[in-house]
Amino acid sequence: MKLFARLRSIPISYRMPLIVALLLIAVSAAISEGVLERLSRTQERFLDGLAQTYLDGLSSAVLPAVLRDDVWEVFDALDRSASSYGAMAPLETIVTGADGRVLAASDPGKIAAYSELPDGFVGRYGPGLVTIDEASMTGFTRRELVYQGLPIGTIHATFDVSHLFAERREILITLLVTNGVLAAFFSLGGFLLVKRMIGPMRVLESHMRAAANGTAEPILPGEFPSRDPEVASLFRGYNALVHAERERADLAMRLAEEEKVASLGRLASGMAHEINNPLGGLFNALDTLQKHGSTPVVRATAINLIERGLQGIREVVEAALATYRPERAARPLSATDLEDVRLLLKPELRRCRQRLAWTIAWDDQDELPIKSGPVRQAVLNLLLNASAVTAEGGEIGLAAHVSSGQLSLEVHDQGPGFPGDIAGILIDDDPGPAVRAGCGLGLWMVRRVVDDLGGQVTIVEKPEGGTVVTLILPLSGEERQADAA
Amino acid sequence: MEGQIHWRRASLSRRQFSLGAAMAVLALPNASAQADDDTFRFGLTPVFLTSDLELLNHLRSYLSVKVGGPVELVMRRTYQEITALLVSGQLHSAWICGYPYVQYRDSLDLVATPSWQGEPLYQSYLIVPSDRAVEDWLDLRGDIHAFSDPDSNSGLLVTRTLLAEHGMMPDQFFARHFFTYGHRNVIRAVASRLAHSGSVDGYVWEVMRETEPSLVADTRVVRRSEWLGFPPVAAPKSFTGDPRLVRLEEALVSMAGDPDGLKVLELLRLDGFVAAEPSLFDSIAAKVETVRRFG
Repeated sequence: MKLFARLRSIPISYRMPLIVALLLIAVSAAISEGVLERLSRTQERFLDGLAQTYLDGLSSAVLPAVLRDDVWEVFDALDRSASSYGAMAPLETIVTGADGRVLAASDPGKIAAYSELPDGFVGRYGPGLVTIDEASMTGFTRRELVYQGLPIGTIHATFDVSHLFAERREILITLLVTNGVLAAFFSLGGFLLVKRMIGPMRVLESHMRAAANGTAEPILPGEFPSRDPEVASLFRGYNALVHAERERADLAMRLAEEEKVASLGRLASGMAHEINNPLGGLFNALDTLQKHGSTPVVRATAINLIERGLQGIREVVEAALATYRPERAARPLSATDLEDVRLLLKPELRRCRQRLAWTIAWDDQDELPIKSGPVRQAVLNLLLNASAVTAEGGEIGLAAHVSSGQLSLEVHDQGPGFPGDIAGILIDDDPGPAVRAGCGLGLWMVRRVVDDLGGQVTIVEKPEGGTVVTLILPLSGEERQADAA
Repeated sequence: MEGQIHWRRASLSRRQFSLGAAMAVLALPNASAQADDDTFRFGLTPVFLTSDLELLNHLRSYLSVKVGGPVELVMRRTYQEITALLVSGQLHSAWICGYPYVQYRDSLDLVATPSWQGEPLYQSYLIVPSDRAVEDWLDLRGDIHAFSDPDSNSGLLVTRTLLAEHGMMPDQFFARHFFTYGHRNVIRAVASRLAHSGSVDGYVWEVMRETEPSLVADTRVVRRSEWLGFPPVAAPKSFTGDPRLVRLEEALVSMAGDPDGLKVLELLRLDGFVAAEPSLFDSIAAKVETVRRFG
């Protein structure tokens, strides 16, 4: 299984030829085994036949001589048979008489006539006609000489079988070389074929990589394989995907623009309202000053009124500036930023006659090492959303605190809770489906802020009604250290 | 089966040769008499190179021309068979050994005797493997010894007489002995070390030194006997006066003067044939007597 897993980790353009080669090796091993087995059996039969013929011929030649104990005739028969049975390649043949003594051997200089049969000759035979000793590459066989039912002697023959082993070795080498060449040939063919087959996949792969890096380009018609309808179909599918993605991105951008314009309109009208409110007081104060400006008490009161009214206007304008001017967005977060949010929210709350519960537990730090712009934007969006879902006269709230390197921002409302797909924008791994459905763009911006800052979101339904959305945002270490320094 | 019976009988009669035993051999189908046709039947013992077909063809054609009419060359495995056929008149003539000749001198006429190296004489050799370190024939005691033929002078009688002169039987001197039924076979037996030593026809050994030098080189002569009468061509006395025998004698004696005859002599490495006296074989007869007296 380990091997299988390792095999799977090899790229397909190498894996395929490797599998082909392994298969061929397995097949050729099986075939070689079969061929050698068959050859071995054929050789054994051949050898048995040769031995049988040799013994038949020799026994009929020596039998009368053995009967007479005629040493010369036995030797003469052995001597002549050596040249007559060349295919048998007899190395040594010994004929013994009824008493077991040697009558004659093919090499009398080695085994003398009338001597005892050397030890080892009797025990060297196996059950078959021919016994093979692979170490010495010799074969042994024997034949009892029987005359009128009585044993009168024995022929012991030793012959050379090295040519059989040589033949086996030669065939094995031929098989190995042939199968090796075939395996190499087919592997190379497999490699080239797979390379050719996965060529279009590489085109697709490079386009997908480019898409992952943000530039999804359709595959050009020139890159389409002319004779592979399946790959062409795959390419067309990819191109359709790219086009669909582009349309969706365009749509999302348009929607975002619209949302931006809409929220801008809401904020602008809120700001106009906020500025308009003191304006009435300011004009009254101006009128008072014009009529009763000579009276010091009245003048002081009127000027004081004008000052406070202008201060209120300045705060609103500054809050708007802080929220929407990009160069301010990278500043560390401070309590003032959240106060700006509160200020921006005020007209909407007033319009809906809603209360705002506001808890900022900041420890002693004035500023937190986290980008203020995105956080303000996220909190504002969440609070606007909470206001939108909470009934008139209800209560929404923000609770912010810092603990163990994390900023926790809790926004609660008294709304009916998030529908599943809307909640998904905040908490699912892939917020795509809900976003693509074109809803909850404000929440999607929150999600993007959270993802950018490496935080996470939880949504909890309160038992008494309403929902708590909690953003957990990690505080950046370097910025904290920089602050400490 | 016939072969088996044949061997057993041959084995029996080898020890004690007699005409009766010879007649038993004659009863075998292969030896059936055909004396009543015109074919001249000439017997050859395995005294020398009977396996040489070229020699046989030349000899047959030469004799056919000279004797007149068809000639059959009759060969048997042993001297004894040829001798029996000859003595019983089933052969008109035969080239036999001096030992059977002296045994049946009363029934046989000498036709001619081959002349080798200028004399109708030859020797018997005692040979050993060439790498065997013995100098004296007495060192051959305890050997496995190869004899040529029980009816051979050079291949048995000479050695047996030598032993008898020293008061020994072959069985006492040699550990074992066997017959090879051919001088060439004695040389093969010794060269292959099947036998430790052998008794062989000196003429055959010397000729084979030229024809089969590699075989003879494996053997060495330890003892050469005195010169003895060369194996002669003999005929039964019953055919005395047969004109074909006269023509045969003439053909043999004049062989050296005839191109075809010369071819035969060259193959045999002989000078020719001479008309020798029976007394040439007296020395062999003396050996027979020595052995007979010793037992």
